[in-house]
Amino acid sequence: MKGLRYQLKNIRRDKMCILTFLLPVIAGIAINLLTGLSLSSVSENTFGIVENNLDAETAQWLESIGNVTMYESKSDLEAAVIDPSTQMIGVLQNDNGIYTVRAGDELKMYAEMGDILPELYQERDKVRLYDRTIIPADNNEEFLKSLLIVITMVTAMFMGCTFNTMSIISEKEEGIVFVNEVLPMTHTQYIIQKIALGFLGAVMSTGITAVICIKTDGIQVLFLTLIIFLSSFIASLAGLFIGSLSGGLMTGIMYIKIVMIAFIAPPVLIFLAVPQGSILYNLSYILPSSAAFYGLMELLGGQQQRLMVNLIILLIHCILWFFLYAAVSVKPPEKIKRGRI
Amino acid sequence: MKKGLCALIKKDFRLLLSSKFLLLAAGSLILYSSYINFVYINIEQENFSVYLYDPYHLQERTSSVKSVGSREELEEKCSDGNSVGIHISGKKPEIYMISSGIKSIDDYRTAYAISALSPGHPQKSLIVGGNSKEMKMRREITAEFLFFELSAVGFLGLAAMLFKEKQMGVVRVYGIMPVRKSSFILSKAGLFLVSDLVFAALLTLINLGFSAGVSVLPGVLVQAGILSLVMAFTGFICAVVLPGFRQFSMLYLVLAVFITTPVFLAGQTGITWEWIKFHPMYHMFKAMKDAYFHTSSVGYSYYITCGTAIILLFLFACRGLSCEMKREG
Repeated sequence: MKGLRYQLKNIRRDKMCILTFLLPVIAGIAINLLTGLSLSSVSENTFGIVENNLDAETAQWLESIGNVTMYESKSDLEAAVIDPSTQMIGVLQNDNGIYTVRAGDELKMYAEMGDILPELYQERDKVRLYDRTIIPADNNEEFLKSLLIVITMVTAMFMGCTFNTMSIISEKEEGIVFVNEVLPMTHTQYIIQKIALGFLGAVMSTGITAVICIKTDGIQVLFLTLIIFLSSFIASLAGLFIGSLSGGLMTGIMYIKIVMIAFIAPPVLIFLAVPQGSILYNLSYILPSSAAFYGLMELLGGQQQRLMVNLIILLIHCILWFFLYAAVSVKPPEKIKRGRI
Repeated sequence: MKKGLCALIKKDFRLLLSSKFLLLAAGSLILYSSYINFVYINIEQENFSVYLYDPYHLQERTSSVKSVGSREELEEKCSDGNSVGIHISGKKPEIYMISSGIKSIDDYRTAYAISALSPGHPQKSLIVGGNSKEMKMRREITAEFLFFELSAVGFLGLAAMLFKEKQMGVVRVYGIMPVRKSSFILSKAGLFLVSDLVFAALLTLINLGFSAGVSVLPGVLVQAGILSLVMAFTGFICAVVLPGFRQFSMLYLVLAVFITTPVFLAGQTGITWEWIKFHPMYHMFKAMKDAYFHTSSVGYSYYITCGTAIILLFLFACRGLSCEMKREG
């Protein structure tokens, strides 16, 4: 306990570190301020038209099925259609209705949309012949916002990892490793102290972000707390791993970069692209961040079916990685000693 | 003077080799290229399905709709939140779907489902772009990775090197050596510039293919050079000003995640934020992307601004170094 106090005292002077731990919180506040509207416009269909080309009725119909932007000339419209960052489809009038212009590099769904739009226009009155039953989806419009919140939270947890890696590497570089060897402190005490620092930082940072961004109550709060605690623990443990594996600052940073990409990108991609329950989805549980990510997404979506599964997987990860680290790092690192001489 | 610069470059190159920097850059190159070639270009967004429940066979079947056997099955198929169901029972036909949360998309899905019932022949759109879907994705993701890698590695690599020298006390030695401060900075920035340019060229050629790669290469190298110099000098200034590498790496993480993410979002998804044009990195990202797509939206003012920024950063770096040398005694 005393050792931990010294460690805390040591970082208290390090204002930059404290500030960085608070940055995800700031990002969380920013995301919270984003209105659902500004985000939902991303997933809307986008159409481009030319001034004075479409009649009012057609333009109105187009506005009912997507977001319409008006351009001054046909060449402006074509430039906007070709712009690779949008999936815009250009709509122009001809003798028997409308025709469409597209870049030819769209995803299949948008390519088909471009091709079928004139037909939809011809048949626009048929809609009245049908009854519509639209089941409201729960929280669907908030989906992108939830995704951003969860990514911020996972990044906040990752801060614990970076912090630990850096603290171990700087100890190595400054020779404090050798001082530690002669201190009256067991190896387990040392590990616990080191984990505790990154862990506390990550929990604090993620926790505050959660309080700002997630409105939840009852049993869900308990689940949320558990997910935050377990994944912060794993993140700070991962930091120790990277720290002890890397020889210098440069390699440390590179490892952090790779681990960061490996921790954050696959869960997001798999969550978005792969159906739940498939082999790839289940395989992704090899990464501890997947369980944390899926669990948080589920919490934000207001579901709880698989929360327990995700929590148990996280717990298993915690135990496995902890013992693995304890086994790998039983002895103070001999290699460094040799390297120094 | 010339001899001094040569010796400095030689020493910096050795330092680069010993820190395994080049090896790690090669590792990143392999990682990115495999991701692009094996994962990214296979991403596709299929159109949603239309299911039809028509127990009395009142409707002619078309290839665009899939038939189901019961109302329950129809509702179950639509529960993915994307598919649309049509129930024809003799009364007024019914469209069944789970809302996407956005009214215009629901209206589009309705119209699409209705048109899927008639055996129409969709007209082909007029194609105005020159890229296929795969080529567009390759250009897009290569631009992104290159941007990320240059802003991250140039910034970090140079700073890591300087921190190492600070620790070894080399900066103090420079204070009394008859070498100009500018050559001390230039030798490092030059080395990183060359390594960044090689990285950019390899990444482009591997992922775009030879002919397309070569045709965009001049533009890409210009942008890569600008970005590399800006980031290298920024890294140098941060490394001189900040006391330890730990603080620096935290700052770096912030830069990597929170500064580049809005740039990607704005450049990638077509979200329009008014304030994004005040984000300097956004313009560099746009210029890089334009270079990959052979379009140029940046004018002389961009190059003049970049040139001025590079010179200013260089002067700041020189000043920072003198302060650091004074502090070291």
